[in-house]
Amino acid sequence: MSARVQSLVLLGRDAPLWLAASVLQAALKPAGVAVTAIELPSLLHVSDVYATLPGIEALHTRLRLDEAGLLRATAGAFSLGQNIRDMLGGHGQFLNAYGAYGTPIEGNDFFPYWVKARALGLDVALEQFSPTAAAARQGRVMIPDEASEVYGRADYGYHLPAIAYAAGLKTVAARLGVAMRTANHIAIERGDGGDIAALVADGERVAGELFVDVTGSDAALIGKTLGIDQHSWRAHFPADRVFAARAQPFTPIPTYAELRAWPPGWAALYPTQAATHVIHAFSSALTEPEAALAQLGAATGLALGDAVLRPSDPGRRDQAWAHNCVAIGSAACALDPIHNLDLHAVQLGLITLLTYFPTGQDAAPSRDEYNRLMRSSFERLRDYQAVLYMLAPYPGAFWDGGRAAPPPPELAHIVATFRARGEVPPMEDDSIPTDNWRALLIGLGIAPESYPPRIDAAAADTVKTQFRAMLGFVKDTVQRQPTHAQALGLAHG
Amino acid sequence: MAPAPEPESLKPDPLKVVIVGGGTAGWMAASALVKLLPAQDYAVTLIESDEIGTVGVGEATLPHIKVFNDTLGIDEAQFMRETQAAFKIGIEFVGWDRPGERYVHPFGTFGEPWAGVDFQHHWARAHAAGRASELHDYSFAIAACRNNAFEFPDKDPKSIRATYAYAYHFDAALYAQFLRRWAIPRGVTRIEGKVVDVARDAATGHVASLTLASGAEIEGDLFVDCSGFRSLLVGGTMDVGWQDWSHWLPCDRALAVPNIRTEPLLPYTRLTAQEAGWTWRIGLQHRTGNGYVFSSRFTDEERARDVLLAALDAPPLGEPRLLRFQAGRRAAAWAGNCVAVGLASGFLEPLESTSIFLIQAAVMDLIGLMPTRPSGIDPRLAAEYNRLFEVHYDRTRDFLVLHYTANRRHGQPLWDHVRNMELPESLAHKIALFRASAAAPDYRYGLFSRDSWLAVLVGQGILPAAWNPLAETVPLDDLAARLADLKYRIDVNAADMTAHGDFIRSYCPAPALEPAA
Repeated sequence: MSARVQSLVLLGRDAPLWLAASVLQAALKPAGVAVTAIELPSLLHVSDVYATLPGIEALHTRLRLDEAGLLRATAGAFSLGQNIRDMLGGHGQFLNAYGAYGTPIEGNDFFPYWVKARALGLDVALEQFSPTAAAARQGRVMIPDEASEVYGRADYGYHLPAIAYAAGLKTVAARLGVAMRTANHIAIERGDGGDIAALVADGERVAGELFVDVTGSDAALIGKTLGIDQHSWRAHFPADRVFAARAQPFTPIPTYAELRAWPPGWAALYPTQAATHVIHAFSSALTEPEAALAQLGAATGLALGDAVLRPSDPGRRDQAWAHNCVAIGSAACALDPIHNLDLHAVQLGLITLLTYFPTGQDAAPSRDEYNRLMRSSFERLRDYQAVLYMLAPYPGAFWDGGRAAPPPPELAHIVATFRARGEVPPMEDDSIPTDNWRALLIGLGIAPESYPPRIDAAAADTVKTQFRAMLGFVKDTVQRQPTHAQALGLAHG
Repeated sequence: MAPAPEPESLKPDPLKVVIVGGGTAGWMAASALVKLLPAQDYAVTLIESDEIGTVGVGEATLPHIKVFNDTLGIDEAQFMRETQAAFKIGIEFVGWDRPGERYVHPFGTFGEPWAGVDFQHHWARAHAAGRASELHDYSFAIAACRNNAFEFPDKDPKSIRATYAYAYHFDAALYAQFLRRWAIPRGVTRIEGKVVDVARDAATGHVASLTLASGAEIEGDLFVDCSGFRSLLVGGTMDVGWQDWSHWLPCDRALAVPNIRTEPLLPYTRLTAQEAGWTWRIGLQHRTGNGYVFSSRFTDEERARDVLLAALDAPPLGEPRLLRFQAGRRAAAWAGNCVAVGLASGFLEPLESTSIFLIQAAVMDLIGLMPTRPSGIDPRLAAEYNRLFEVHYDRTRDFLVLHYTANRRHGQPLWDHVRNMELPESLAHKIALFRASAAAPDYRYGLFSRDSWLAVLVGQGILPAAWNPLAETVPLDDLAARLADLKYRIDVNAADMTAHGDFIRSYCPAPALEPAA
């Protein structure tokens, strides 16, 4: 590929297509690039839901998509994190929140002081030092202000019913002027050296210099057309089937998602205004689908309806960008369903593409850099997902399988370092905040065997005083926060 | 200290950390350890021999050194007086691309991002259209270098006068002495002596104790090998292999000689490409440090001596002193209970003043991963330490190799060789990426920053053929106006700065020393 990109053609469906089309259009239209989106029939189901990480707000801002309108139009909800719970009760629960845990003491990170205090018998959970986690526990939304910013990051994502979110993004794409067409059948025209020359959508030819594959795990362009193989991550992920279903909304609506582990696998509950969306991941070798669905109803205590079963086959394409085709989202990397990171992966792909957008000269170095960065970024997401299966203390054959699987070497190193020192090794291209790694590793039962000794320089009384002050701050701050209903009411505005 | 009450006596013995070698590495390690680790848990001993000279690496530093000194709580003006220090805000490279050309690698940024796109894309676009001058005109730190000026960066982060950081030129031997005076009263036990024997634990292979020439035996739990090129414990006792990088960095000798200070006092290091390597010029308060780093494959010592002396801007103070080295690093810096810091762990020529930075990074990583009671030595901590060590060395190496490979000094055998040699794949990719798209390396950990890469890529004559199309969202006329405004703010503010020499005279004048003969 050497021609300057004048026309960018996206092929795909649903929220990833419209998010990609909108973001690319907003960025590239002023630079004279025409963006066309070809929409394939939706694969979404009424039960599907997206959980977003806080970073999505940056994309929404670029698209001038306002929060109140979004939550109203989608009947979505605020989400301050994920509560991870053992349904058999043997291992308690912990909240992995989108905010800071503790505030620095004498210029050092809070976390090692907590590790030390806990080893000395402190019986206060890590999450109690997080205003975000504490707000979630009380059904409130943590709205950052000056004082909370000084304490540490406080952030939130959303739970968005997928059909409504995709429709909302499609409206944005239309407003931004994306050329749109739908197609049931696509033929691909190849050109020089195997590049894609054009897509023929239901008989109509759409030519372009760069093509973006947002077809999800279909990988219609990067996989089926260009033949880029998927490098399987099966060995690290025991779930190969996923149910999506939904039930009546909770009253009041919780401000967090909940991951419930029980012997056949896990279920995740994503509250929204419209419904409680439920995802259930299990292994087909261990559980029949009918049995899984029945167990899901029993385990959640919810009257579930609208269930849909799909396979899950995690893995990464050997290249996310090949020839003149960039795969974004599941087309480039099919993630395990845990933590619902699919949209986050779409966002990483888009931001990286804009940073290394082909210039019209030799595109090979940009492509190599994109592939290098996306590989590394996807592998860190893989590690963050795989660590739950690696360390989960829950009983049952499903979890036994996860624990028995050999972890990727980078993850083995991360866990070993954390176990030894209570530190998460700084890894390039890791998009997960350190606080979340810590909360997850601690929640899954790692008790670090040591902590950085320099924190011993702080006097025990100073640390105690600071801990008390933090707990007081968390309590006061959370009490001032709006309830979910109030926050959504404001959103209705 | 008063004897401790009963519970104290139940405490385990402090972990004994023994530092072998008292050069810059040894005293930086000792100072940081004694400052940052609790005294009741760590006993820090440093063994140095008056018989063994130190190399005194790097009289020029990077801005990170200020963080190190601040961490120790060192008074800057006092430290500068006692080490004959001057300020440094960049490195000037003379003749590296080709004879007659020069550029500065500043300790500061180029421009500012506009419309969410990094500055160099805008610059590349405007430059290609004839609407911008050279990239290096858009750095405040470079303008200050050109004026031989220095002031502390502005506290207001929005000011153009806040867009840089600073380091020092100092006498490394005086710095080691300064830290020694600082560290000993704070609890470091200094032992004068030469290690003549190393005893190892038969079961673990760990070093158990060192025997000194005096017959004294020094036991330790952790040994920090600051023995310089000898790498007494890590290269020697633990027999950790060496990765030779001389195929990428062929210089293997240096001749060093000081001369009398000249005026003005430059706030930057000057490195001049020569036929078989390069010469350095580092201005201190009491003298100017000079040296010639060269490759013995491409010249001989006699010729090198002539080149060095011809490059001096004042009469030399004494005879040039020869150093031998090889570029590379140990396969690992931490083996068993021994951790190599400084030259014992690897060598990279002082082309970007990285020697002291690499010591600092090693010391701070060691403090973070320091063994604790009761578990003691933990291979998992060593594995993380070695991972970080590799990141630091390998990234620095790529940056150094860039200076050599991108040259147009045709017809000089060393320079022809480095221009045509096969590059580390990671570097070849970075160069190709910049050439094709103006995207510069931008990573989170380790040296160097994106702006540093830009300075040297463009300085070495590598120009981007294209830029991110997103830059074109700014109309060209607007862009030209923004660039002109930026350059105006830079020039006006830089013209208003204090001369470096005057700043030093009022802030930290050092006592006159008898120049060493």
